[in-house]
Amino acid sequence: MTYLAADVNELALSIFGVVVAITLIVTYFASKRVASATDFWAAGRGLTGVQNGFAIAGDYMSAASFLGIAGLIFLFGFDGFLYSVGFLVAFLTVLFLLGERMRNSGKYTIADVLSFRMNERPARAAAALGTLSVAGFYLIAQMVGAGVLINALVGIGFELAVILTGAFMIIYIVAGGMLATSWVQIIKAVLLMSATIVLSLFVLGKVGWNPIDLFTEARAQSPEGDAYLKPGLFLASPIDTVSLGLGLVLGTAGLPHILMRFFTVPDAKAARSSVMWAVILIGGFYVMTTCLGFGARAILGEGATEAVGTGGNLAAPLLAEEVGGGAGTFGGDLFLAIIAAVAFATILAVVAGLVISASGAVAHDVWSNVIRHGRDSEREEVWVAKIAAVSIGAIAIAIAVIGGSGLNVSFMVGLAFAVAASAIFPALLLALVWRSFNTSGAVTGVLVGVFSSIALVIISPTVWPGPDSEGGALGFYDLANPGIVSIPLGFIGCWLGTMLARETKAERTFDELYVRSETGLGAEAGTGLTLTGRRDAAKESAAVTATIPHP
Amino acid sequence: MTDTHGAGAARDPGRDEGTTGAGPLSAETGAAGPEHHPEIDWVAAERSPEFRELVRKRRSFVVPCTIFFLVWYFGFIVLAGYAPDFMGREFLVDGLTVGYVLALSQFVMVWGLSAWYLRRADREFDPLAERAAARAREAGDRPRRFRRDGETAADPGRVAPQ
Repeated sequence: MTYLAADVNELALSIFGVVVAITLIVTYFASKRVASATDFWAAGRGLTGVQNGFAIAGDYMSAASFLGIAGLIFLFGFDGFLYSVGFLVAFLTVLFLLGERMRNSGKYTIADVLSFRMNERPARAAAALGTLSVAGFYLIAQMVGAGVLINALVGIGFELAVILTGAFMIIYIVAGGMLATSWVQIIKAVLLMSATIVLSLFVLGKVGWNPIDLFTEARAQSPEGDAYLKPGLFLASPIDTVSLGLGLVLGTAGLPHILMRFFTVPDAKAARSSVMWAVILIGGFYVMTTCLGFGARAILGEGATEAVGTGGNLAAPLLAEEVGGGAGTFGGDLFLAIIAAVAFATILAVVAGLVISASGAVAHDVWSNVIRHGRDSEREEVWVAKIAAVSIGAIAIAIAVIGGSGLNVSFMVGLAFAVAASAIFPALLLALVWRSFNTSGAVTGVLVGVFSSIALVIISPTVWPGPDSEGGALGFYDLANPGIVSIPLGFIGCWLGTMLARETKAERTFDELYVRSETGLGAEAGTGLTLTGRRDAAKESAAVTATIPHP
Repeated sequence: MTDTHGAGAARDPGRDEGTTGAGPLSAETGAAGPEHHPEIDWVAAERSPEFRELVRKRRSFVVPCTIFFLVWYFGFIVLAGYAPDFMGREFLVDGLTVGYVLALSQFVMVWGLSAWYLRRADREFDPLAERAAARAREAGDRPRRFRRDGETAADPGRVAPQ
């Protein structure tokens, strides 16, 4: 890593400082306005479609997207871009199947929707298990990634970087709940989009404004030649590629921290317009990964292969340094520092979203409804949520620090998507559309989904025996991405569990959930809180009367 | 328009015992799950022609669109997996491959389908959903007049005297 000095990069550190200061100021103001549990979990349901669209983009695009995909394209060409496509197409699943229905049916967590017509305690416990597995795997991956990147980009130590990331994320959530989290995510989305647009323009300027030249130049700079623009350099097994695609497209629709964002808007109309804004932003970003990835190959060339690190994560920062004027120049240093700060903001926004969804599973699902049978006060619930957020943050910091920078995180992100696609997505979808689905089906489906994903990832060749092995530990199974097996298993688990038990209540309540999810009749109302202020209370109560039948 | 809400109009079709965690408690505490609304006759609402029309129209849009995007996306993925040489073929100009053009077509598909769905939903599905909801609300209001003074529809414990 000759490009990046081991000592502290003051410029990057000061830009970091500015970004963090802005988010802390926003959190301070948010903390004064969060009054109720609905404010804490769902930002009072007062976000507009545009605001929530930006927040979804901020919640979704992790450092893995920004730095990881640019790196994969730099190293392996076309295969890296396959990830970009999958991450975007996934939002059609969200738009068509779950987004509006979540808004109409739920309250604070995905378990609200899953357990609506079930026996509350087992269904909630299962949903909480799914949420905590996804959020846990994803969170640890993000924290370790944060430590490695900040260490490389800014020069502060791995442990300190992990602790700082965890500390800020805890402050956002404990002080400002979902309101502060939404703000952080919106700020991050704006920063990330701006930085990517500027960087892409500089890259295009370098190749003479002809995007096609990016490909020809990148091909010329790659020792692989023609193969660089073809699939197969990174994803060598076709069936594994299909399995990956399946996991991406269905997994996003099962990510609890993304689904939770739909509780922050006033109605189904705002929920779908937030998906529209999200796909404009996320799609725009992923198109630009062409410029970042192929651009990095075209401009940095083969010589940078060692400098970008094993996963290629430093390709985008090095590209920024190069188009800014090169190493050692003021422009180069400034660009590198900005990209480092954007990467940090990216991680903060994602981990904040993950922790608030995990604390929802602990406080609202497990504590309030499994342990206390829904009899505790709103105040108690929010307190438990804050304690949970601190504890989850502390545990994640501890695992990341103990595991160290060598922890294999790429399989953890894959695991998070696999669990989301195989455990959460089937159960949620069937709860909303299949009349006969019942508690036993939901619990079986989630358990089968969670444990089959974990088991299949453990026996996958990249984990056991190890990354460089030929074939898996078990001869007949050698998939790195479990989706194609674990997703059908999740659905079969849901079906089998449903068939094994008879539950008339779940069938009778189906009509209520079905009509509610399709029409919004009876949907939870907001508190009048908005992103920047508070709406007129009288107007708000008029809106409530309109949605809920009144005596 | 059939008059399906007769016998059980005021009954909570879902929970005779009111044990799903919501019930009267949730109004006071807020810590329980989503509030149930037993004052609405959900069975009748589900059978109302307005609701059936909403579901039929939305489904006839969403199901073909979902099938289309899954086929288009997995077609792309399968080609990437099994026909790398076809995907690597140059298209129109040197450097632009079939694979990259197909990848870009996925972006266009996502934007196009989303915008189309939004248009249809705003113009067609939302008004239908409002009509179905209004119809269910009316049906829920109806039995009020049979109640004793002091009883309210919002009190699920007393809506359906057994």
